[in-house]
Amino acid sequence: MPLAGCLDIARLLDDAPTVELDGAELRIDAVDILQVLFEVPASNAEALVPAALNPTIPPVVTFLAYRAADSPFGPFSLVQTRVIARAAVRPRAYLVSACCDNDGLAAALSASFGFRTWPGKVRLQRFHDRVECVATRGRDTVLDLSLIDPQPITGHDVKYAPGMHLAQVSRDGVTSPRLVQVDTEYEFHRADRGRAILHAFDAPAWGDDRLVPTAPISASVTTCDVAIMPVRYVCNPDIPAAEGTEQVGGP
Amino acid sequence: MELSVPRPWTAESERRVYENALEQVRLADQLGFDYVWAVEHHFLEEYSHCSAPDLFLTACAMQTTRIRVGHGVVACVPQYQSPIRVAERAAALDILSGGRLELGTGRSATWTELGGFGADPDETKKTWDEFVRVIPQMWMQERFSWEGRAFSMPERMVLPKPVQKPHPPMWVAVTSPGTETDAADRGLGCLGLTPGGLKESEERVRTYRARIRQCEPVGATVNEKVHTVNFLSCSHDRDQGRRGGLRVASIFSYMASQLLSAKEVLPTRSYPSEGLLPALRREAGGPGDAAQGFKGVTMGDPDDIAAAIRMWESIGFDGLNFIVNFMEVLPQQYVLDSLRLFGEEVLPQFKTAAVGAGVD
Repeated sequence: MPLAGCLDIARLLDDAPTVELDGAELRIDAVDILQVLFEVPASNAEALVPAALNPTIPPVVTFLAYRAADSPFGPFSLVQTRVIARAAVRPRAYLVSACCDNDGLAAALSASFGFRTWPGKVRLQRFHDRVECVATRGRDTVLDLSLIDPQPITGHDVKYAPGMHLAQVSRDGVTSPRLVQVDTEYEFHRADRGRAILHAFDAPAWGDDRLVPTAPISASVTTCDVAIMPVRYVCNPDIPAAEGTEQVGGP
Repeated sequence: MELSVPRPWTAESERRVYENALEQVRLADQLGFDYVWAVEHHFLEEYSHCSAPDLFLTACAMQTTRIRVGHGVVACVPQYQSPIRVAERAAALDILSGGRLELGTGRSATWTELGGFGADPDETKKTWDEFVRVIPQMWMQERFSWEGRAFSMPERMVLPKPVQKPHPPMWVAVTSPGTETDAADRGLGCLGLTPGGLKESEERVRTYRARIRQCEPVGATVNEKVHTVNFLSCSHDRDQGRRGGLRVASIFSYMASQLLSAKEVLPTRSYPSEGLLPALRREAGGPGDAAQGFKGVTMGDPDDIAAAIRMWESIGFDGLNFIVNFMEVLPQQYVLDSLRLFGEEVLPQFKTAAVGAGVD
């Protein structure tokens, strides 16, 4: 059977977001999205994701950065560090943490979708020959990466895996640890791809020092209208997703 | 044959899987099966430890007398191997098997494999096209030279030459929709790998048959055969047959879904779909799968299986390639009994011997 995750989630639950499954949907238009993927060493594959998920071989870390000039909470930039995985047979991305420069949006994403966010500065800039993303926490640069030589593609060529966010989920007066499945719909207006370059990554600052990006895989940048959909599924993080997935509002 | 080896791995586990597979092939040969296929895969932990299929097939050929050895799918990706090496090894296998070689071609669909070799997924369709055009020429021409995109070589005699003349039959693996037209245009046989629905499959076969009439074959012959893949579990006890088949189908689909497809991590038009993975994910989607019924699935009792084969035959398929076990989920004795029962009670209803190219 495939490798199963063995991430120790106990330490993460202390400061995990508490989510009310309130049926919220969040729409944001004209979002610039940079996604950059790297392989990470397979020796740590199982320790990168909770028991509910299966790591991929090779394990893959994905950096997913958003920038929008407007949103229900005003302009923002956000970058997530995620690990590609499987929930049973489905492709998913486990959220390690996210850096967000808009406190109001961060609070909403945390409360409705279980985003584990921390405040910082995110600079996502498009040039004609590259796209740059730099995240800083205080005076420290915790992520610095680039997409080089963008070439046009179609939005259909780009895949963003649904997120799996570890949170304390409150339902019917009971709070329990769950992975919140975050499904996002994208309407693409533009898409490019290029070479991925990582200049700096401070893994401990993101919450897992075992994340060591090695071989670059790909980089893409798009402009999309984004809709983060109401939560439909949550999953017990301690047992395989095939057994522990629950439909929200279902039996 | 994927030669899947479940964890935990011991010193014996890979050897046991290889020996079980060889035992299955010996029995299949005796029973009158037409082909054994071995797929080239690399780095796919548990899913396939079949990185040297030509060696495995040589062992098959040495232990059998009649069954044809399908060296496919061979990855036609220059970072994996030069087309010269494909032509040489395949010809050697054709000699050692006494002219029983079939060559199946493909290009890999996982990042695990492509990335492992540093291959450019944007190029694989183009390099496959070049490989399938030069390999038969290397076999047929006394001396061969080439200036191409994927590789070039000065004039050399590529040796040995296969014993089948003008050359062994050639195939291409068909997963993504549209590859059947690539096969037809080049006069190649279709090795269907996607367990699709009957209606969709019928349409694809019709497209292939129509298109191949206008083909410009890459070799000296046209191989107009269409095969699809299925799971075989045959028992006098229908429920046992179905349970066994479902175990294999479920674990195969589950493990295939764990693979990291090129399309998933790389924005490229070279892989317009995720190949067989979405279909398998649908098949392995949940506990209601069994309720989809057994239409077209070769598991159950001999009558069930014969009916399923007739269904595929009626929509234009020439053959079915069976996955008989995966990850050793079925005991070897069950697999052998299943093969034997199929060979004795089902196969005679359909038997027409596979024909390769002529042998000098």
